[in-house]
Amino acid sequence: MKLKSFSGPGALVGLIAVTTLLTAVVSGIVLGLGTALLVVAGGALAAVLVLLWASVQSLAGETPLTLDEAIGMGAPSAEEEQKRAVLRALKDLEYERSVGKISEEDYREFLARYRAEARRLIAAVDESLGPAHALAEKLLAERLARAGLADAPDAKQPESEAASSPENGAPVSPEPKSEAPGETSADASAESAMPDSAEACAGCGTLNDADARFCKRCGRSLELASAAQESDS
Amino acid sequence: MWQSLPEFGTGVIYAILVAAAYTFAVALAAGRGHPRLLQSARLGAYATSAIVLFAVVLLSYAFVSHDFRIRYVSRYSDRSMSTTYLLTSLWGGQDGSLLWWSFLLSGYVTACVAWLKGRYRQLQPYVIATLMVIVAFFAVLMLFSANPFEASIAGARPDGDGLNPLLQNYWMIIHPPALYMGFVGCSVPFAFCVAALVTGRLDNEWIVAVRKWMLFAFLFLSIGNGLGMAWAYEELGWGGYWAWDPVENAACLPWFTASAYVHSTMIQERRNMLKLWNVVLICTTFVLTIFGTFLTRAGIITSVHSFAQSDIGQYFLWFIGIAIAASLGLIVYRLPLLKARSELESVASREAMFVINNWALLGAMTFILCATMYPKLSELWGENTTVGPSFFNRWMAPIGLLIFLLMGLAPLFGWRKTSNDALKRALAFPVLSGLVAMTAHALFGERLGYAAFVPKDPMFPGVVGTALQKVASAAPLITFGLVVFNVAVIAQEFYRGVRARQSSASKRNERESVLVALYRLVDKSRRRYGGYIVHLGIAAMFLGFLGSAWNLEREVSLAPGESASVGRYDIRYVGSRMCPGNPRCSPEEQADLNKRMVFADLEVSRDGAPVGMLAPAKFIYHKSPESPTTEVSLRRTLREDLYAVLGSVNAETKRATFKFHVNPLVGWVWLGLFVLVGGATISLWPEVSLGTSRVWAFARAGASAATGTMLAIWLAMTPAIASAESRPRPPAPELRAASPLPRLVSSGGIAAPAAGLGLGMVMARLTTRREKRRGSS
Repeated sequence: MKLKSFSGPGALVGLIAVTTLLTAVVSGIVLGLGTALLVVAGGALAAVLVLLWASVQSLAGETPLTLDEAIGMGAPSAEEEQKRAVLRALKDLEYERSVGKISEEDYREFLARYRAEARRLIAAVDESLGPAHALAEKLLAERLARAGLADAPDAKQPESEAASSPENGAPVSPEPKSEAPGETSADASAESAMPDSAEACAGCGTLNDADARFCKRCGRSLELASAAQESDS
Repeated sequence: MWQSLPEFGTGVIYAILVAAAYTFAVALAAGRGHPRLLQSARLGAYATSAIVLFAVVLLSYAFVSHDFRIRYVSRYSDRSMSTTYLLTSLWGGQDGSLLWWSFLLSGYVTACVAWLKGRYRQLQPYVIATLMVIVAFFAVLMLFSANPFEASIAGARPDGDGLNPLLQNYWMIIHPPALYMGFVGCSVPFAFCVAALVTGRLDNEWIVAVRKWMLFAFLFLSIGNGLGMAWAYEELGWGGYWAWDPVENAACLPWFTASAYVHSTMIQERRNMLKLWNVVLICTTFVLTIFGTFLTRAGIITSVHSFAQSDIGQYFLWFIGIAIAASLGLIVYRLPLLKARSELESVASREAMFVINNWALLGAMTFILCATMYPKLSELWGENTTVGPSFFNRWMAPIGLLIFLLMGLAPLFGWRKTSNDALKRALAFPVLSGLVAMTAHALFGERLGYAAFVPKDPMFPGVVGTALQKVASAAPLITFGLVVFNVAVIAQEFYRGVRARQSSASKRNERESVLVALYRLVDKSRRRYGGYIVHLGIAAMFLGFLGSAWNLEREVSLAPGESASVGRYDIRYVGSRMCPGNPRCSPEEQADLNKRMVFADLEVSRDGAPVGMLAPAKFIYHKSPESPTTEVSLRRTLREDLYAVLGSVNAETKRATFKFHVNPLVGWVWLGLFVLVGGATISLWPEVSLGTSRVWAFARAGASAATGTMLAIWLAMTPAIASAESRPRPPAPELRAASPLPRLVSSGGIAAPAAGLGLGMVMARLTTRREKRRGSS
């Protein structure tokens, strides 16, 4: 319903464009280029009228917000930008080490520095998202409760967390979780950039950070694995 | 209403102005705390673009229907012109080319607004507002100084003056639009820059938004300038491709700042540095595009490109002044936010190299700008100086070689800091290759006809003069060494990248063949490796520039049957023929009612072996018999071009004067340009975002990729098409074969995007199915 008002003039203009093009091609073949140009001119004029009318209309009245627009409202903060730059730098660092452009010593030094910076920024981003995230959690829980999917807001906490999409932000804990879909690879490289404090995944043997909860390669839960190991021993 | 098309057309231009002003106001309101008005502004921007489209179509109709009531139509077309040239007349003269400019701009506006959609909502209102100001400026320009719809004072004439014969060739169809695409394309980054300055959102957001737009503009600036060079080489008949003509210079100025920007933007993205510098570069690039237009239009400097004199210059000066004042004001206002958050960590780093290279590019730009403007400025203090090509060549040689050296060095450095060991390892192979090449050149060059040192006369006395003379004399040797150095650097980068991929694959117990690794390497970081390919193209172009050191030139007068030799070539003058009329002319030549053509047929042999025929010509257009055009005939190889120009033919004795040039390595300039276009296209290659609508994303990517490729192929084939179309030669089977090419290419132009769309759809289907299967299993 909301999308309808947004695509209104768009669909009409699209229709005009297609009709004009078809008519222009046909009349161009039958009657010559001059007529075809006139047809195109007529189509352009019709498009102008529709667009201007729609523009003035939306100037005067209220148009509902589309989903795209609503998502676009949340612009990244300065910390977010810096975080991206640092993650990018970590990715470059990996690349440069792999082609031998940087000495091992410098690599370690920069790695430590950028990693610390990345952690600080990620924590800052999470902190700034904290209240909004809590609110989102609350709203979601309420909604679930209303829909009869959950009995009480608190009882289904883990599920609601799992249901929250990446757009809703990472959990409040300072773990370096991916913020946006595009960042996953950079995040992965940021995490792979810490070979010292590593923990091997039981499933695939990949080294993960000491504080990692899931394996970065196969996604296996590391907490469960370590808990299982502990109980075994 | 159709009784007065001129008035109606003028009304449409008023409508452009009004719509642009309306959109500007609404966009501004949307930015000032009424975000809900944004949709209205977006629709207004679309509507403004549609009105511009309407105006262009209207003018095209006037041309096609020979409406000589309009002054512009009667001045730049006549009834004998073919439809293609009637349509190219749209940008053949001052007034129409401004409308064409607005049209391309409105195309960018539409694309940009559509692309923005829900993105960058804080910046969007100001982006639209800035673009609307530029549209409004061109509307004002057309209304008050160069109205393409102005009524002819003499009323409707029976026939028009016709397009200048020099402009009636293939290059006219493609060069101006390509260059304008580059020029106009710089408006979008500028609009984002202004939006970032106004809102104070000066972090990476706008830099990321602008990235592809700037690369696109850079690509088209390169293509436009390259096509201009090719046009000059093929049509003007003086044997070269770059004469340092003021307008040529003006067209290449934004290219320098745009290249500087595409490098410095990477530093801001990674290091949050150079914010101020990037803002300044974008504003400079935009101002330079307007300045270039001003130089062409105002006729203040005499040039082959000049349009008719008019008062249009002052409007441009005002606009340039306002643009500079506004950007400067905003920059000063936002100075605290433009401070860098980090600093250079080491001089031995890629960012330091980029900064140095930026300065060199900016220096080259400033030098060309000053030298171009000097003759005009010196009039102010009563001097009358001219700055000729030799001055530019002499000075630009060291500047260009410095930039070329830096271009090779930069990729060897890593970001932030490069250790000495790593640097030594990286430098060893390229430096060694360069030195070996230089030694080989010094030892064997002379024997092969490519002398390492070409002595030059000092241009002026003093230390600087001598130094310049020395550099100029040794330029072939240095350039060749640097070409090899650059190629070695890029080869090494690719090699190391492939090796790194392979070794990391083998760690995962997988095997990647060299080709797979190479493909994935380029695919994973397209911008980096696309950029390297652009560097490769520039290296090839430098090889082409280098060839001019060994140019040969000979002027002869021959009677039919006589021969002359130049370099390794022997050329026998067979005789002349006039088309239409002569039985040896081809059917197309016989059917040409537009002009008379005088061909001089030449038999060419190299080292004693016949290699083919050349037929330089003079074309005499019926519309302007007093100025016949010179049609060059060329024999191209990658090693050298044989370039024949017909001076004159005696109608009775058939004795003819010729000028022959042997231009070594020129072909590499065009080859380099294609490589550059290819590299830039790789950098621009759209990312397939795995969003909600996967099918649509794939289809879009497929279609745009196919269109891009088709454009590249089309541009690559242009010389062939041009020679097939515009240079009729004696009927010979191998030349006949060339004529279906244009039709083939143009039908391919329609088929390719459709095929790409289909391919994208199929790919998307397959991928989704595979994903589904994976998901279900």
